Amino acid sequence: MIKKNSLSFRIITRVLLITITLFVLIMAGYYYYARNIIREYTRQNAIELAGNLTGKIEQILQPMEKVPQMLASTMEMGLIHPDSLMSILETVVRKNPTIYGSALAFEPDFFPDKGTYHMLYAHREGDRVHSMTLDTEEYDYFYMDWYQIPAILKEPYWSEPYYDEGAGNILMATYSVPFYCLRDGERRFAGIATVDLELEWLTDIVSQVQIFETGYAFMLSRNGVAVTHPDRTMIMNKSAFSNAEEWNAPILREVGRDLLQGISRFREYHIPGRDKLWIYYRNLESNLWSVSVVYPDREMFASLRQMTTMGVVFILGGLLLLTLITSGVIERLAKPLTLFAGSARTIAEGNFDVKLPTVSTNDEMKELHDAFSHMQEELAEYVVNLKETTAAKEKIESELRIAREIQLSMIPHTFPPFPDLPQVCLYAMLKSAREVGGDLYDFFVIDKDKFCFAIGDVSGKGVPASLFMAVTRTLLRTIADKEQSPASIMETLNKSLAFNNESNMFVTFFLGVLDLRTGKLMYSNAGHNPPVVIGSNGNVSMFEAAKSIPLGLFEDFIYTEHAVQLNSGDKLFAYTDGVSEAENKREVLFGEERMLEIVDAGKHLDPKDLIKSMEEAIDNHVVDYPQSDDITMMAIRYT
Amino acid sequence: MNLTQEKLNDHLLLQVVGRLDTTQSDSFEKQIMEILDQGHEKIILDCKGLNYISSSGLRIFLIMQKKMMGAGGQFKICGLQPSIKEIFDMSGFTMIFSIYQDVDEALKA
Repeated sequence: MIKKNSLSFRIITRVLLITITLFVLIMAGYYYYARNIIREYTRQNAIELAGNLTGKIEQILQPMEKVPQMLASTMEMGLIHPDSLMSILETVVRKNPTIYGSALAFEPDFFPDKGTYHMLYAHREGDRVHSMTLDTEEYDYFYMDWYQIPAILKEPYWSEPYYDEGAGNILMATYSVPFYCLRDGERRFAGIATVDLELEWLTDIVSQVQIFETGYAFMLSRNGVAVTHPDRTMIMNKSAFSNAEEWNAPILREVGRDLLQGISRFREYHIPGRDKLWIYYRNLESNLWSVSVVYPDREMFASLRQMTTMGVVFILGGLLLLTLITSGVIERLAKPLTLFAGSARTIAEGNFDVKLPTVSTNDEMKELHDAFSHMQEELAEYVVNLKETTAAKEKIESELRIAREIQLSMIPHTFPPFPDLPQVCLYAMLKSAREVGGDLYDFFVIDKDKFCFAIGDVSGKGVPASLFMAVTRTLLRTIADKEQSPASIMETLNKSLAFNNESNMFVTFFLGVLDLRTGKLMYSNAGHNPPVVIGSNGNVSMFEAAKSIPLGLFEDFIYTEHAVQLNSGDKLFAYTDGVSEAENKREVLFGEERMLEIVDAGKHLDPKDLIKSMEEAIDNHVVDYPQSDDITMMAIRYT
Repeated sequence: MNLTQEKLNDHLLLQVVGRLDTTQSDSFEKQIMEILDQGHEKIILDCKGLNYISSSGLRIFLIMQKKMMGAGGQFKICGLQPSIKEIFDMSGFTMIFSIYQDVDEALKA
C-alpha cells in the first residue's frame, strides 16, 4: 500500500491531478463540440423532415383545392342544370380518395322553388358515397364558419378544424370557395362550393413520421389548435395559447406567435415537469396551418451520452492502470532512498562500516551511492583524526593544567600573607587569559623590616611567556637574597634575563622595597605601568612614568631607582596592562581613566575590597568577551 | 594588520596598518623576518596607521632594532599615534628606538 507521505504518493497524486484536469477539460470540450454538431445535424434533419411532410400534405391539399374552384366556376357559368349538381358532387367524391365530402351551399332562396335552405352534400361512408340535400333550419349553415367567412372575405378559405354535426359527422376541415352569378345585370354572391378533409386521414399521414423512439410530428391550425397529433385527445382541444397559460410554459405562446407570423424555427422546447424536447415548426404554403417535428432531447443526445460514459469508463480504467504501474515503478526506483536513510541512521550511530544498498543503475542513485560511500570513508578518517587530535589535545591540556598549578604555586596566594606584620596589609590577584600566562607578582620580607614587592608582565602570552615568568620569579628571589637596592636587583635580574635571550622576550617590571620602620619606599621601574598612590588624605596620583626599558633586552642597561615617603594609611595600587587594556566585544579598552575612577571611588576600601571592586568593574566592561590579556592587580596599605 | 613595503631613495619604507595584537603578531613576525633577511641597510617603519600594539608586537619591534643595529644598519620608527607613543614612553622604549615625527623627517635624519 502506498503511504500518504511517500514520494510515490506525491508524484502520483500530482500526475493524476494534472491528468484528470486535462481529461475533464478535453471531455468537456469534446462534449460541447459534439453536442453542437448533433444539434446542427438534428436541425437540418428536422428542416428536411418537415419539408418532406409539408410537401406530402401540399400534394394532397393543392389538388383538393382545385375541386371547389372548378365547381365554383362551373356554377358561375350556369351551364349545369340544378338537378344534376348532386351527381357531379358524387362523382367528385368518388374520383378523389383524398376528399371526404363536397358540398354546394346556396344563398337563401337562390332557387325560388327550393326554399330558404338549400345545400347539396356528397360524402364518403365506408366504400360508398352518400349524398343528401340539407334544406331545413336544423342545419343552419349560413352561420357556420366555412360558409360565413369566405362569403364576407369574398375569397377561398380553409376553415379551422371542426366537428361537422348533422352533415359529415366527423372531425374535418373544409375548403370553401365562394361563387357568384349575374342577376338583374349585377354580379351577386350566390353560394359556397366546398371540399372536406377528414382530419383522421391527415393524422394517419402525419403519424407515419418516426423520430427516434418517441419523437413525433403534429400539425396546428392558425389558432394553434392541434389538427393532427399522435395523442388524439389533443386534437381539436385547447389552443397553444391556452395551453401556455395552463402549463405555465411561455414558450408555447412564442411558438403560437411565430406561427401566426409565418416564422419557422428550430428551438429548445421545455415545459416544466416534462422531458426536454427540440422542436422545428413551419407553416404550410397553401394555408396557415403548420407542421411541427419533435425530437426528444434525451434520445437526440443518447449516443453522445453513451460515448461520453464509455470514454470516462475507459479513461478511469486507464488512469487506475497508470497509477498502479507508476507507483510500482517509482517504489522500485526510490527503494534505495529508504535503504540509504537506514544506512545514514546506522552511520549516525557511529558504525561507519555499514554496507550500503547496491545500486545497479547508472543514474542519480549511483551518484548518491558514491557520495555516501565517499562520506563513509571521510567520516571514518575524520573520526580517527579527531580521536588522535583529541587525545593529543587532552594530553596537552592536562600538561597545561599541571603547568598552571605549578605556576600558581610560584606566586604567593595566601591572604593575609603576614599576620605578624601589622605594618603591611596586602591583597593581590592574577588571572591568566590562557591556562598559563606571563604576568607575575611577588612579595617577601628581607631582613625583617624591609618589605620587597614586585609586579611584572612578560611580552606575549601562553606557555613561552609563562616560562619566562617562571625564570624571572626564580631569579628575583635568588637575587634579592644578595642585593638590597631595587636598582641593583633590577640590573642583576636584567643581566641574567638578557643573557642569551634569543627569543627577544622581555618583561616590564616594577620593584619596590619598603622600609617598614620609616615608610620610605625605594623603587625601580623597568617599563611597567606606573602604580597608583592613594594618599591617606584622599589624594590619588600615579608614579611618574619609567625612564627605563623592560628587563631582558640589553645586558648592560643602567636602571635607576627613586625614593618616596609613605605615610601611615597610604596605599599603593599596582597592576598590569591587562587591566587598563581589557577589551569588550566592540574592541573598546577599559582604559586608564576608568581604572583611576574606580580607584578614586574605592580609595577608602581596604586592599582586598579595592581589588574586588576593580575586578567587578572590569567584568561589567568585558561582559562575556574572551579575556584578551592576563590581568594582575596588587594593592598594599602601609600602616 | 596589513604590512606594505616600498623603496624610498636608499631606504626601505614599511607601513603597518591596523592592530598588532597577540594573534596578529605571529604573521607580522614572519613577514618582518623575511624582510630583515634581505639585508636592507636602512629601514623606516611608518606607524601612522597602527592603532594598537601589544607587548608581543613590541617584541618584534625590538627584534628589528637589535638585528639592524647588529648589522650596522639604521632602523627608524615614525608616525606613532599618541596612544602608541604613550606605551613607548611608559615602557621606556622611546630610549631605545629612533623615533621621528613622519617619513620626511626620518628620511632626512
